[in-house]
Amino acid sequence: MLQKKESNGKILFHLFLLVVSGGYLLTAFSLGAPVVDAQLRPSFFPILIGLLAVAFSAVLLSREIREGKESRPSANQAAASGDRLSYMIIGATALYILLFSLIGYVISSVLYVFAIMLIFSNRDKWLQKLAISIVIVGLGYLVFEQIFGVRLPALWE
Amino acid sequence: MHFIELVISSFAMLFNPVTLAYVIAGFLIGTVFSAIPGLTATLALALLLPLTYSLDVTTALMACASIYMAGMCGGSITATTINIPGAPSSMMTALDGYPMQQRGEGALALGHASFGSMVGGGLGAVLLIVLAPFIAELSLLVKTTGKFSLLAFAMIVIVIAQRGNMIKAAMAACIGLMLATVGLDAMVPVTRFTFGLSDLTAGLELMPVIIGTFAISEIMIQAGSLKDSNAVASAMSRVKAIRRRDFLPSFSSIRKIGVGCYLKSSLIGYFVGTLPGAGGSMGSFLAYVETVRTSKEPKSFGKGNPQGIAASESANNAVCGGALVPMLTFGIPGDPITAIMLGVLVINGIQPGPQLMAEQAGLIAPMLASLLFSAIVLIPLTLFLLGPYFIKIVSIRKDVLYGAIALLAVVGSYVATYSGFQMIMTLVMGVLAYYLRKNNFPVITLLLGFILGPNLEEFLRRSLTLSNGNPATFFTNLDSLFFVLLTAVFVYFLVIRKPLKSPVAAPQG
Repeated sequence: MLQKKESNGKILFHLFLLVVSGGYLLTAFSLGAPVVDAQLRPSFFPILIGLLAVAFSAVLLSREIREGKESRPSANQAAASGDRLSYMIIGATALYILLFSLIGYVISSVLYVFAIMLIFSNRDKWLQKLAISIVIVGLGYLVFEQIFGVRLPALWE
Repeated sequence: MHFIELVISSFAMLFNPVTLAYVIAGFLIGTVFSAIPGLTATLALALLLPLTYSLDVTTALMACASIYMAGMCGGSITATTINIPGAPSSMMTALDGYPMQQRGEGALALGHASFGSMVGGGLGAVLLIVLAPFIAELSLLVKTTGKFSLLAFAMIVIVIAQRGNMIKAAMAACIGLMLATVGLDAMVPVTRFTFGLSDLTAGLELMPVIIGTFAISEIMIQAGSLKDSNAVASAMSRVKAIRRRDFLPSFSSIRKIGVGCYLKSSLIGYFVGTLPGAGGSMGSFLAYVETVRTSKEPKSFGKGNPQGIAASESANNAVCGGALVPMLTFGIPGDPITAIMLGVLVINGIQPGPQLMAEQAGLIAPMLASLLFSAIVLIPLTLFLLGPYFIKIVSIRKDVLYGAIALLAVVGSYVATYSGFQMIMTLVMGVLAYYLRKNNFPVITLLLGFILGPNLEEFLRRSLTLSNGNPATFFTNLDSLFFVLLTAVFVYFLVIRKPLKSPVAAPQG
């Protein structure tokens, strides 16, 4: 079941690449004629790259579909759990970016570093982890704002 | 000659305590990042890239050079102690380093690795300092069509160097090139692929592409392989304490390895470094194979022969000097680190290319002085002073490490433009790079496609405009024809001919 899921995921990713390449190529065509009076126009290079990308992604997709039909022993429970942790990193980072300008560097960063630490370990000793997060964010503040003079967003400007 | 004098006088800059502090800090960060399996000097440089905005560009480049040199030798620490190379360039070191560790000679193996790195790094830097001005002068002979053929040569070689993975490498390069076309066209005032977003009009910034590709994706990859990290930590805990006096290799053992081995390996590393996409791992592999081939005791390799360590480490550190040749003379980065160093130049408004050595010699000379200083002073000094604590340093808690890295990466992407949009782009690039890496796409070709893309397009359009659209211009101009033929030679050797095989088994890990 997991093997099939992983294989489907790979096929889906290669399909995504093909769709993006196709979309890029179509947009490149909409930029106008590639050559006018022996002069290369802005669409020439994107069309060339788009054609190559479509060709490569189509070859890779067909290869992936062919290989997907054969059994692959690589997938296991650990890989699925690893994927879940990676998705949690994406979610935490997206939320951090949202909160960064809303509630400022300090609070959002403490929450973010704390979340990343929990993802990379377990939920025990959470008070110690919170304290470490505060120290890391404090050091970050020192490096960015005090040493390198970067203005970080604050809750109250 | 003038340039060599300039480099020599640049050593005086290292007497400035602030500059010296940045060079030493860069070296230590590079060593730690390359020693920890999963982290790389590339990641260290990507994380520190935003800070170069606030730094003097000369100091920033000097720190980059020391990170680069450290990144090539730090990987030997875990390659030797636990048989897991901290960096790919130290893969061959593990073949003889780990058997020495098992015999209780781990410290000596690290001493040999450090000595080899010092010799290779030093020779590579000297060759770079001596030869780069001449190559820079030659590069001025390359005109528009030749420049396109040279860039195409670099892109093709980078792709075909990813043997067994060429279509994926080509696809990743196409993605990089596609990203490079976003924004205002360089020759006609037309926006492309901006989809109405004004933030994209000036094109994608280099910072989110580098941080997303090398930092955010790395955090996600590491989160997905926590079990491996725990295995490394448990292997580390079993390593016995290392004593400082055990590091020093005896003069007789160095003599047994032979000056020829150090010289030959350094030269191999240097010339491999000049090739786009080859990198430290290929340099050390070829030097190792050559050393085994010419050895009187080939069967002793893979069983703890210090000559194997010396060959591998001399070569991978000599790569640093070689890889900076195309970057400084043609503006072509050969690997991710030189690509990020190129980014430092671009961020500071300096145009890389053939004119760089002539117009910015005062900027480049201190960087090369720092490279040489890192090789001959910082490599042995770091081993001697910090060697006994290496294992403790690289055993740092992963949750603390990645918490700090994630913060540096995301806030770093904000620093460039004080823009939330760049942070979002960093995450988008990170997710894209994560899926690409998970599906075995080499992201180095994506980065080089993104960096070389604008010039590739500009020189293609200019060449064809000059020749009224006649593509034969690439074969009728001598400079262009030279690179076309060179491309054919590389295609023959890297695609058509069978690859070399390692004479001994690859390390387990």
